[in-house]
Amino acid sequence: MRLNLTLALTLGLAGWALPAIAHGVTVEHRQVSSVEISAQFETGEPMANAQVLVYTPDNPAEPWQQGTTDDQGRFSFTPDASQPGSWEVMVRQAGHGVLTTIPVADPASENSASSPGTEADAEPNSLISPSTGLSPVQQGITIGSVIWGFIGTALFFARGKR
Amino acid sequence: MHIPDGILPAQVCAAGYAITGLATWYSLRQINRKPDPTAEIPKASLLTAAFFVASSIYIPVPPASVHLILNGLLGVVLGYFAFPAILIGLFFQALVIGHGGITTLGVNAAMMGIPALLAYHIFQSRNTVGKMLKEPTRTGVFSFLGGALGLGISALIFLGLIIFNIPAELDAGAERAAVLTLSIGHIPLAIIEGMFTTMLVLFLRRVKPELLEG
Repeated sequence: MRLNLTLALTLGLAGWALPAIAHGVTVEHRQVSSVEISAQFETGEPMANAQVLVYTPDNPAEPWQQGTTDDQGRFSFTPDASQPGSWEVMVRQAGHGVLTTIPVADPASENSASSPGTEADAEPNSLISPSTGLSPVQQGITIGSVIWGFIGTALFFARGKR
Repeated sequence: MHIPDGILPAQVCAAGYAITGLATWYSLRQINRKPDPTAEIPKASLLTAAFFVASSIYIPVPPASVHLILNGLLGVVLGYFAFPAILIGLFFQALVIGHGGITTLGVNAAMMGIPALLAYHIFQSRNTVGKMLKEPTRTGVFSFLGGALGLGISALIFLGLIIFNIPAELDAGAERAAVLTLSIGHIPLAIIEGMFTTMLVLFLRRVKPELLEG
């Protein structure tokens, strides 16, 4: 079973605007950018309860965060903006898995850009798929050619000795 | 049941390639000893195409969904041609459909190909072990055993490979439970493939019995 891992980079996702000042409790809020991944099998079935390991760009050996996907195969995390670069996310279940790379922008460049600009910058990242990237038609033609190769081989050797 | 890239450590992948190399050499040598080594290539080539396509056919077995493998069938019908056929089929599956991977090609070929050779020997033993059975039943029973056990042994190897290679940072308990669930889904699949093998073999026995002599 092959996995299709689609990523939706959600920027400015979490914002808690809770007015809560009572008994000396203060709540502050800030906006952070999170990454949501959604993992599914090739059949379109979501990879529910799959294990997710998140690695920072600096330390690809030790997971920075661990978790599991929900029933819809989704998992979101908030990368540490002080470590820009290629974050790696491994989704794995029952021997099926995929390692995908998520670029996290440098906070310095992020600050210089305006808010809608950041969103536009994130657009190319919104669909990262590790699959071959062939359209269904291209894949159909490739599969057809391979099958024709096998049939051709069979016909070639079936013509018998002359 | 294909193991994709990046799941197994490099040593296991290398060992898989070594075993596959040996098994390919052995199979090709057995083929070369036949009076006409090319005579069965048409049959082998067509079944390679069937094997290539079979992995895209999904059968929902709650809670998982499994896909056909047909390695036991290839073993029963092709004999020693089954190993190179599976190797070639897996190569194209990894390249075109994205099932399995190039680094794990050796492991996958050994995992599916060697049980296929066992299935062949199970089927061939029908004339020695299964003497007390009458003829159509004998072929039917042994082709079922070959088709079902070929897949079953592969599923067991898959289970073992995954369970003994769970990376330390994963939650081993959850991963083990998930692999077990998937493997249990292969029991009905083994029965389906066994019946499929029986149907094909009994059909061939009626229309072209010389194809089963191999």
